[in-house]
Amino acid sequence: MPNPTEVRPVLEIRHVSKRFDATQALEDVSLTLYPGEVHALIGENGAGKSTLIKIMTGVHRPDTGELLLDGKPVHVNNSQEAQSLGIAAIYQEPMVFPDLNVAENIFISHRKRGMIVNWGRLYKDAAAILAQLDVRLDVRMPARGLTLAAQQAVEIAKAISLNVRVLIMDEPTASLSAHEVDQLFRLIGALRSKGVAILFIGHRMEEVFRIADRITVLRDGKLISSRVRASAAELPSQREQVIREMVGREVSDFFAKIEVPRGDLLMSVRNLGKAGVFTGVSFDIHAGEVLGFAGLIGARRTDVGLALFGIEPADSGEIIFNGRPVQIKTPEHAMQLGIAYVTEDRRGLGLTLPMSIATNITLPTLRRYLNGLGLIRRGDEQRTAEEYRDRLMIRTPSVNLEVGKLSGGNQQKVMLSKWLNARPRLLILDEPTRGIDVRAKAEVHHIISDLAARGLGIILISSDLPEVLAMSDRVLVMREGRQMGIFTRSEATQETVMTAAMGQHEPTLAVQP
Amino acid sequence: MNALRRRFQPEQIRELVLIALIIGILIFFGTQIENYFSPRTFTRISTSVAVVAIVAVGQTLVILTRNIDLSVGSIVGFTAYVVGTILSRNNDIPPVAVVLLAVAMGAVMGSINGLLVAYGRVPAIIVTLGTLALYRTILVEISGANSVLTNELPRWLVNLPPVNVLSLGALDIRLLFFIALLVVVIFQFIASYAAWGRRLYAIGSNPDAARIAGFPAQRIVFTAFVLSGALAGLAGFVFLARFGNITVVAGQGVELQSVAAAVVGGVNINGGLGSPFGAFLGAILIDVIDNSLIRWLAISEFWRDALLGLLILLAVATDTVIMNRLRKAWSRHELQISGSEAPVEKGGSHHAA
Repeated sequence: MPNPTEVRPVLEIRHVSKRFDATQALEDVSLTLYPGEVHALIGENGAGKSTLIKIMTGVHRPDTGELLLDGKPVHVNNSQEAQSLGIAAIYQEPMVFPDLNVAENIFISHRKRGMIVNWGRLYKDAAAILAQLDVRLDVRMPARGLTLAAQQAVEIAKAISLNVRVLIMDEPTASLSAHEVDQLFRLIGALRSKGVAILFIGHRMEEVFRIADRITVLRDGKLISSRVRASAAELPSQREQVIREMVGREVSDFFAKIEVPRGDLLMSVRNLGKAGVFTGVSFDIHAGEVLGFAGLIGARRTDVGLALFGIEPADSGEIIFNGRPVQIKTPEHAMQLGIAYVTEDRRGLGLTLPMSIATNITLPTLRRYLNGLGLIRRGDEQRTAEEYRDRLMIRTPSVNLEVGKLSGGNQQKVMLSKWLNARPRLLILDEPTRGIDVRAKAEVHHIISDLAARGLGIILISSDLPEVLAMSDRVLVMREGRQMGIFTRSEATQETVMTAAMGQHEPTLAVQP
Repeated sequence: MNALRRRFQPEQIRELVLIALIIGILIFFGTQIENYFSPRTFTRISTSVAVVAIVAVGQTLVILTRNIDLSVGSIVGFTAYVVGTILSRNNDIPPVAVVLLAVAMGAVMGSINGLLVAYGRVPAIIVTLGTLALYRTILVEISGANSVLTNELPRWLVNLPPVNVLSLGALDIRLLFFIALLVVVIFQFIASYAAWGRRLYAIGSNPDAARIAGFPAQRIVFTAFVLSGALAGLAGFVFLARFGNITVVAGQGVELQSVAAAVVGGVNINGGLGSPFGAFLGAILIDVIDNSLIRWLAISEFWRDALLGLLILLAVATDTVIMNRLRKAWSRHELQISGSEAPVEKGGSHHAA
């Protein structure tokens, strides 16, 4: 590891701030990258990591602050300029062109190689780069069909071919097996010894502490700490310290769910699994209860929701709903049972944006609005929509307005109305407050509490840890497709939940493959 | 302008613009062509628009689901020819049975498209391009390149085109045009008031959300193709009644004309937006220009195709440019009246460009 006092930094980020509408994504963040070091950047979902990467790669421009390359201020306006400065990024899902071969992918960004492709040289150069990295890969093979790890090797080779000096790796290990992670870390080692500065974004604590020379924690857009990795003996205490720094937000800022007596058992799930996605999910949920689903991105919480609603059905385990074993294979079936799922993907899976508020709300329940001739009773439809507009405080001049014209918070409420109108007994809410403003957020929290008080069972999937803790009676924590445990309201703290979500906690329930 | 905004959605504005355009073009040609405003002009345009209008309604149903039906031209020709042949051998079949036969034949051909697209998950453009060629080839094969001749057909059919349903002043509504009107009215009603119509729009606007809302998207897409085929079959009957002499190339090009009518009439080629009534207006606009240009300049067949192409391009261009601006202006305006907070969007995708 180089000694920072002797080596000149490659890239310095100085006092960078960035604001998107209501959200302060970054606030006065400074970060220094030295050649030949692996610098880990960690933080909760929404801490500002992505924004920082996007500023470094020219996708966003900072509101204030500057970037210095070799001590000189630079302006990065797009990813092409970033590349020409020697800053490149690779992501969790490698961006290779599946129909081009390995060599073509490696040299895809080169413009100075002339008009005509010299195939012989292309293959030779590509093979030479892969040899440097000690990667055995046929350069004539199409990228389609390469494993994720091999695709990442191609991306790293691409970065080397561009003489990259700063390589940003955004959760590169998220989809890799343990063996592939070892391979990747070997590649990172090779890059480090070539003097490349690596910014490593990761969610797995053990990996971060294995590969990083320095560790920086971001929280709510602010830089919390930046430290050199401790020696082996002090490592456990350093880990705990880092986790505490990641989660230090105030739970008391949130509206808390009103306690109501627990009702009858609504659903029991035992060892639910879907091959290659999640496994060993077991929980009970009662009427009037909010069961939070906590975890980091890639924990596969949404997949459990999709399985319970029959969109992507589970293939093992059992579900007992209302005392009867059921196999939920389609959304229709789930709806018949009394399950509703409010998706995190408002625009994709949730709403039909060009259609009106009223037509969106009645879409799953259209059958209730038909007269004897199969025609829609528009008056009833209108009245239903207006009821929900008043009840959930949807701010709109008319329920006949296109949903696409509403703000995010109001769209969220339309989506809620749509599924509440299906009169569910179990409501699965997936990220119900993502991307909506503070006022709308508080309103959604009140609605959730109110629904539970009326006897609905609610599964609340949320990446907002304080929100989960404030709203849930119990919290189920997942990590990479596995259930890490269920915490009661008194047991669940930011530290315990985050520790479990990051893999520092043994599963409390048996996990079967 | 503001009053206008409050009363109409952008799509309705589009239909009003089409009507204004049709009137404007009529006025223009009225100054250019002698005796243009005569009952004869109305009769000529209204009978010639009937075939395309009926097919365009079916085409609209399919396009609303984000698909396309290119086989309709062959279905029109096929039913016109086969029904004509059967009639020429047996003049005594009752008229109602003849119409039902044409519709049923079209429905069967449409169901083949529907099966392959909805259940076989083959892209509609591939399937219907295939059946376009296939149905036509079968027709050529079974016909032995012979034609159906007017003098072999029963009298009632040959005498059908001049039959009047009602007269509005000097203007006669011919039966064939009336059939088209009826089709437009029925399907406009279904599109706006029936559950099936609502779901058609939902599927076209957001197929994923439709799936989660729990209704049978595949069956609805299938039905759209069956209806498109059935309407093409009905158009085949109208075609037979109108022309009498049917060759193996009958109905060629109707697929393009129906798509043009739908697109010009404001049906979004990406599904979810538009209406049968709009497609009907599109068909009328195209036919008015087509008919009038021939009388005005005596332009050739080739130029008529070029004109059709130009109109499609124009329609799509205005759709993407003007309608998008209109929609934006509308939403800005509505947000102002509602006084609600500005739409909050989370910045960009995860990946750098």
